[in-house]
Amino acid sequence: MIAAFSPFLALRYLLTRRINLLGVFGVMFAVWAIVLVDSVFTGFVGQIRDDVRSSATDLMLTDLPHDTSYLALRTALVTDEDVVATAPRLRHHGMLQPLRRGRQDNRYQTSSQVDFDHTVNGFATMLGIEPAEEEAVSGLRQWLVRGPEELTRLYTSDFWPSPVFDERAPERKARMLLPNDAEWTARRRAGMPTEADSSRHRSDWPGVVLGWQRVRRMRWFEPAEAFDLLCASFQGGEVNATLHTHSTRVAFAGCFATGHRTFDETMVLMPITTLRSMLGQDAKDPSSIDIVTDVAVRVRAGLSSAQLANCKRRLQALAQAVLRPGSAPCLVADWEEQNQVFLSAVAHEQGMMQFVLFVVMLVAAFVIYATLHMMVVQKVRDIGILAAIGGSPRGIGAVFLLGGLTVAVVGTLLGVGTGVLSALALNDVNDWLHAQTGLELFPRRLFDLREVPCRLAPSWIATVAIGAVVLALVVAFIPSRKAARMHPVEALSHE
Amino acid sequence: MSSPVLQAVAVKKHYRLAKHEIPVLRGIDLSVQAGETVALLGASGAGKSTLLHVLGLLDPPTAGEVHFDGQRVDNLTIGQRAALRHRHVGFVFQFYHLIPELTALQNVLLARMMTTSVWQFWRQRKQAKAAATALLEQVGLGDRLRHRPSELSGGERQRVAIARALLAEPKVVLADEPTGNLDSTTARGVVDLIFEIQRQRGLAFLLVTHDERLAQRCHRIVRMQDGVVVS
Repeated sequence: MIAAFSPFLALRYLLTRRINLLGVFGVMFAVWAIVLVDSVFTGFVGQIRDDVRSSATDLMLTDLPHDTSYLALRTALVTDEDVVATAPRLRHHGMLQPLRRGRQDNRYQTSSQVDFDHTVNGFATMLGIEPAEEEAVSGLRQWLVRGPEELTRLYTSDFWPSPVFDERAPERKARMLLPNDAEWTARRRAGMPTEADSSRHRSDWPGVVLGWQRVRRMRWFEPAEAFDLLCASFQGGEVNATLHTHSTRVAFAGCFATGHRTFDETMVLMPITTLRSMLGQDAKDPSSIDIVTDVAVRVRAGLSSAQLANCKRRLQALAQAVLRPGSAPCLVADWEEQNQVFLSAVAHEQGMMQFVLFVVMLVAAFVIYATLHMMVVQKVRDIGILAAIGGSPRGIGAVFLLGGLTVAVVGTLLGVGTGVLSALALNDVNDWLHAQTGLELFPRRLFDLREVPCRLAPSWIATVAIGAVVLALVVAFIPSRKAARMHPVEALSHE
Repeated sequence: MSSPVLQAVAVKKHYRLAKHEIPVLRGIDLSVQAGETVALLGASGAGKSTLLHVLGLLDPPTAGEVHFDGQRVDNLTIGQRAALRHRHVGFVFQFYHLIPELTALQNVLLARMMTTSVWQFWRQRKQAKAAATALLEQVGLGDRLRHRPSELSGGERQRVAIARALLAEPKVVLADEPTGNLDSTTARGVVDLIFEIQRQRGLAFLLVTHDERLAQRCHRIVRMQDGVVVS
């Protein structure tokens, strides 16, 4: 039971001492900062996870030997009841070598130098895909819609959608060939030899689809801009392998955007047949194989975590059985495992941010401790009076404990209120500030965000509020214990 | 006057200063009967205030016993001593000892809040307020209810302290030089008030004082010297 004098005096002491506002404002500021910053971070992380998820497939069979044949794998994988579709993927590092316009004759000429000023433009991870199959396992169609949207939003003028995936002829679609007239126009524009009549031209340059970030940096906006793709690979036996370089001319065939910045910046989508040819596996050669580095897998919707885990084990076993005996174990990774390092890094950043904010909360708690301790020191004689007129040590201690509790509760309520309001109005405030001063609290363009992502999590807010109050109670306990243990006679004679 | 309401039996009190034991009370035997007024006289350092604190259960004796209404009380727990102090003992101090943040009425009401829960006090707040107001009117402060101690004179503050000591309707009031900080005219008024209330309520009063004339108004005078009762 709390004696009536404890809350009564606690309130009186608080109301007559403005220094206690320091504690209230300290807690309020800390809670406000935690609620606001963490809601932004939660939104940010959520957005990143959504973007990463949209760039990944349900499952990815990876860590395959370099001579793995896709057809054999597919035949094995589709026997699993949970597998809906599979698609081959071939990854290889390469370089884009732009064909620059010559100064004299305005014709294309091959650059002999790597553009180190725009390294990100030059180097790329070439991702060979089979368009028809890829559509069935990934969000390729959405990527191709979102890519032009991003450029349109950036430049406020319509950007053309890639036509190569709408091609009806399977062979042309597999090579991602641009419409004949588009390539003919590009050739004419570059001054390259071509037919006099566009209707007689047949497209021949394999199409390459670039991430919108790369398109923006390279400032390539016309369809069928030609450039060279270069890569190097070791060929021959494992003992006598020699390094070969390969080059092929391709055409700019559109842009994509998954939202996953790393994926968009590094990946170049191209026909898997073209990449295989570059790596010495020409389809026209009877001894060539349909090599893959990964197999993307789409599984039945609605699988639970446990079912997915079982599915992964089954697929791994199926794949391993197809691989050459003695091969290193392959890996079946879900979308989180495919991006484990990146997602862990983001989660770690959020953890660090929460730690920093916890330190802010500790500072606020210290302010409460300091003000309460000061109050106890200044109220020694009052403590003696209370003891003399019958106050129990517990009741006397409760005066200061309740003082701390009141400061914490008021500060927390104000902090939660202002934090939630700030989070809700964040984009408006950000826009207004940007319009008025040119400053942005959260530079959205830095992260390619359309708006500041903000996700209020009620459970987190409740955790913060309870944590703030508990922390304040813990620190308030120290001065209140001191007050409770004070000797009444010594307190009464205190000067 | 009947049985002793408050009794000290061979009470000793030592204080430790560094490695030295300082004896302040050297074996005090004292009884205060119900309705009796007793003056404790003695020079500074005689141990009067210490005895008052021991009898008021603010400070436990080093040796000996304290009895209240025939029951030994010095061996009670801190909480039990506080409750007993609240119910049966009123304190009046030389320096009034009021809470500066509270009004005169709130200072008196505080005595009612000591052992009642928030809910209990809320339910009986009107009766408590009426009782406190009546007491303040009785001590002549009916028009000063909402004044804080800093807005009251010394005599008025002591009257508030007396009202606070009486609110819980104690059996005994312990007053430590209640007029020691007042001018003679004000002191006379406070003393008159104390004895008037004592007569009306039949309280036992133990007054620590240097003032011989004040002591003469009590039923009995106990003189102390160097920690012992000399007469």
